[in-house]
Amino acid sequence: MKKKILVANRGEIACRIIRAIQELGYTAVALYETPDKAALHISVADEAIWIGDGPRCDYLNIDKIIKVAKSHNVDAIHPGYGFLAENPDFSQACADNDIIFVGPTAEVIQKLGDKVTARRIMAEAKIPMVPGTDNLPADETEAVKMALEFANRVKYPIMLKATAGGGGRGIRQVDNDGQMKEQLQIARAEAKAAFSSDNVYMEKVVVKPKHVEVQIIADQFGNTVHLGTRDCSIQRRNQKLVEIAPSLIKDKKLLDQICDTAVRAAKAANYTNAGTVEFLIDKDMNYYFMEINTRIQVEHTVTEMVTGVDIVRTQIKLAFGKELLFTQDDVQIRGHAIEMRINAEDPQNDFMPEGGKTVTTYRSPGGYGVRLDGFVYQGFTIPQVYDSLLVKLTVFGLSWNETVDRLRRCLSNYVITGPKTTIPFYLQLVNEPQFQSGDFDTSYLENHPELLDYKEDDSEVNKLAALIAEIHHKGKNPYAA
Amino acid sequence: MDRIVQGMHIKEVLKTVRAADGYYITNTARDLSQSDFKNRILLHTDLMAAEAREKAGYFSLEITGGASVHVDILRKQVDPFLKLKLLREAMPNTMFQTLCRGVNLFGYRPYPQNVIRLTVREFAKYVDVWRVFDFMNYIPNMQAVFEEVQEAGKILEPCICFSTGPEHTDAFYVDKVAEILAVTGEDIVLCIKNHGGLGTPTRLGELVRAIKDKYPELVLHYHGHNTDGNDIGRITEAVLNGANIVDAADHSFTGFYGPPPVLGVMQSLEGYGHKAVTVDAEAVIATSDAIRDERPHYDLFESQFKGFLPTVQIHKLPGGAMGSSLEQAEKGGFLDKMPDILHKELPLVQKELGNYWSVTPGSQILWTTAVANVQGGERYGNASGDLRNLLLGKYGPFPFYKPADWIYKKVLGPDWQQILETEGGVEDIEDMDIAKERTILTERIKREPSEQELVLYLQHPTDAVEFFKFEEKFGKVYVLPPAIFLKRGGFALGEEITFTDHLGKGHLVSVGPAQMDEEGETTIYLTVDHHNRSYVMPAEHVVGSVAAEPEIGKEEIEELAAVGDVRAPYTANVCEISVEVGQEVVAGDTLIVVEAMKMQTPVVAQVDGIVKSITVKVGDAVKPGAKMVKLNTGAEEAEGE
Repeated sequence: MKKKILVANRGEIACRIIRAIQELGYTAVALYETPDKAALHISVADEAIWIGDGPRCDYLNIDKIIKVAKSHNVDAIHPGYGFLAENPDFSQACADNDIIFVGPTAEVIQKLGDKVTARRIMAEAKIPMVPGTDNLPADETEAVKMALEFANRVKYPIMLKATAGGGGRGIRQVDNDGQMKEQLQIARAEAKAAFSSDNVYMEKVVVKPKHVEVQIIADQFGNTVHLGTRDCSIQRRNQKLVEIAPSLIKDKKLLDQICDTAVRAAKAANYTNAGTVEFLIDKDMNYYFMEINTRIQVEHTVTEMVTGVDIVRTQIKLAFGKELLFTQDDVQIRGHAIEMRINAEDPQNDFMPEGGKTVTTYRSPGGYGVRLDGFVYQGFTIPQVYDSLLVKLTVFGLSWNETVDRLRRCLSNYVITGPKTTIPFYLQLVNEPQFQSGDFDTSYLENHPELLDYKEDDSEVNKLAALIAEIHHKGKNPYAA
Repeated sequence: MDRIVQGMHIKEVLKTVRAADGYYITNTARDLSQSDFKNRILLHTDLMAAEAREKAGYFSLEITGGASVHVDILRKQVDPFLKLKLLREAMPNTMFQTLCRGVNLFGYRPYPQNVIRLTVREFAKYVDVWRVFDFMNYIPNMQAVFEEVQEAGKILEPCICFSTGPEHTDAFYVDKVAEILAVTGEDIVLCIKNHGGLGTPTRLGELVRAIKDKYPELVLHYHGHNTDGNDIGRITEAVLNGANIVDAADHSFTGFYGPPPVLGVMQSLEGYGHKAVTVDAEAVIATSDAIRDERPHYDLFESQFKGFLPTVQIHKLPGGAMGSSLEQAEKGGFLDKMPDILHKELPLVQKELGNYWSVTPGSQILWTTAVANVQGGERYGNASGDLRNLLLGKYGPFPFYKPADWIYKKVLGPDWQQILETEGGVEDIEDMDIAKERTILTERIKREPSEQELVLYLQHPTDAVEFFKFEEKFGKVYVLPPAIFLKRGGFALGEEITFTDHLGKGHLVSVGPAQMDEEGETTIYLTVDHHNRSYVMPAEHVVGSVAAEPEIGKEEIEELAAVGDVRAPYTANVCEISVEVGQEVVAGDTLIVVEAMKMQTPVVAQVDGIVKSITVKVGDAVKPGAKMVKLNTGAEEAEGE
């Protein structure tokens, strides 16, 4: 019988996964909450299941999803990213119900999701790490004492992090002894509210690091390979906007070393399926392990472009117990890829989401070296209750310059009207010399506030049509009276 | 060949004209547009005509100047410089001609010397023939323009403005020509500017003969209007007596107040054996054929009065002001009083004010005064600021005689003699700080303006900024034909509108439904190049709604003014605020200057006081009785205590 895979996600990643399922010849099953009833992932899937009015609660409801998966006889579930992707209970629930979970085991998700446990595993495997602590003691006086000792040893600034945190959330910086007590309390309260656990730990702050990560892929037979590096330094408030593969660090030996370290880290955790090992690189080119993301990542497209490996397809095959068909030596990095997350946000208004608006024009670029992973179409009203990612524009080129040129061309040819988008902001970015040079770190965006200084410019025909609309409405041209 | 082409040296141009066996024709498309279509003929139509007009072999195409520069940005939403650039591309050979009001350039009052020079320099990049006039025929008012045109190596065409009456003798005009030649030298074209189309054919023939007798080598260009239907007669006599160049326009667009048709002129003169040496009659016909179908789209701008107006010989209004005067009369609700104004009051005012030349801005002063005299009851009781300036000699000395003392007294008040002595005479206008103006403009449009944008701004600050903002919002709209740009009554549902943008890309817009919500907001749906788009139009303001300020009467306005509550006297635009909050003023001080019908009028304090508040800003449109300035008068202060 034809295999059936349920995609427990929405938006562009649901569409991406559905494509891989259909290419494998399997049946793709979508699910959706009411606000997504007009979403593209429903129309491209082979079957679709409504799971409730939501918003954001039914996509997170393990019981419901398992129930519909069983009633629809699905063989496997792909969780995508976000929602339940890194919830060990979901992976466990699948296992308990004889459904294949496309991702690591609950145990792996559990221990890597707990930052302190993860650090312990990596420390044992001698993976270089940013100096940090275990969970701070629950007793406040003792916690402050331990924190101050740590700060004294590694010097400020340091970070307080929620042990169960991730995705850039649950982090607070402390710059001196005076702030410690207060910040600790706040960090605990935030951690409790966001992650239902008030465990926090500390790490030294690596000032202005580059964010470099390694794509890992591992089968159930002990074969673990990496698919090279990605640079995700261009972030806004810890949220990635632009991702590049491979990292543009000139020292190839260093990059090889980082990739090998990533493979060792994955092996140390008994990792299976696709994952990402994140590192920080300081200005002296020291690298530190940060965390392992136990899911497919938004930016996996850039790696696919430079390696030729379809990561999602591979994920599914490995989940079904297949062996990796290639070795580390088979993996060749060729050219460069850049991905930009085109969001329905108004960068000039503090990146305020533009949800609720209808896409009145959607005209996308194409041509050589261009890849689009999106889910919008003309006439689509962006639900207000989900994230603002509309489409990922990924371009490939043999040289870095060619890739940047292609990106600029695509951005200028992209027409999305209705919601404001990050496109004009990205156009500023591709024209910025430091970006073009390829040498930037996580402080890039805060150092370039001028990128926000642009004018939204409508196309000539739309301007003229606006006048025609007014002439039509008023019954005469008010500007020629 | 006798054909004169753009780029020829003036000496060569003059030599060619003198040697030609016949006369030349200037196509005065701009004057036709201004006189018969309120200046609204769009660049789109001129571009349609360009190929045939280029082929027609005119001496020049008068296509800019007069009021057109202002109307280009105000009502046609086209950059006057870009217009010339595009026409130049389409017509590489034909010389372009402008009409410049001397010290008043393309506006209504004198500009500083440095603004005049900058403006002429920028326009001289596109304009080959510069027709320059002054409504008082006061040569110093044209001097700066003369110098800049000659400096730019362009063809200078100074005018003697022509009118009729006992003072307007050949001797007077021949002396004027001498005055002009004394400052310009002999390498000029001299224009007889008959903006009203006044006088009989024989009168014009005599004048041409008198000038030619004195200056046989002078190249003469006759400019007339067909208001009385007889300009071909005058042109014929002018040419028979030695005029070298005459003005006419394309017949499919000729109306009642502008130039007569080119072909009619040619046919008339052919009977006398005179040929338009380089004009290709086929191309003249082809021009009219090319644009004929466009004319109906402009009919709204044609005159309220249909038919020729031979009574122009009585009222002497220039053709270029006929349409706008009638339009004002209609908007002002006094169209029925036009016969009285035109045939009784205007000729009287004309005589009383010195029988000078009724042309911009002098014609507006005559017209506004005549209207005020008829409408306001007491003659000269409601004088405009410009009339005051005229009497003070700010525009130049009266050419023949000064108005009677009683008029001075009426307009300037009992101390008129003293005022005349202290304030009278042509004013030296101080140079403008152009660098500062550039900074102000940069702030207003939030980008660096081009030199040409700066020039437009210096001419018409508010309207230029509005235009720049318009272009940012709506793009280059000159690509739209009048069928779209001037469309009335909306488009039909499903109608398909096609046009080509300035980048050469063709577009298709189809008209969808319109939908109004409860708040009166309307959404217009269009399909633009096969993509659906919607445009939200805000709810229209309902006239007479609560927010609208009730209009108050003239008496009430005066009563309020007496206690320091200064209201707008009539519907006008605020063009200057002369005081600041906290400033001490005495009765008679100018507080605000308002502008209506292109005439500026100061609103003066009726009582002494301190400016407490100013509730209008420059550019505001005000209705009669609108609050403008509040003065703290002594009485009020005492009450307050």
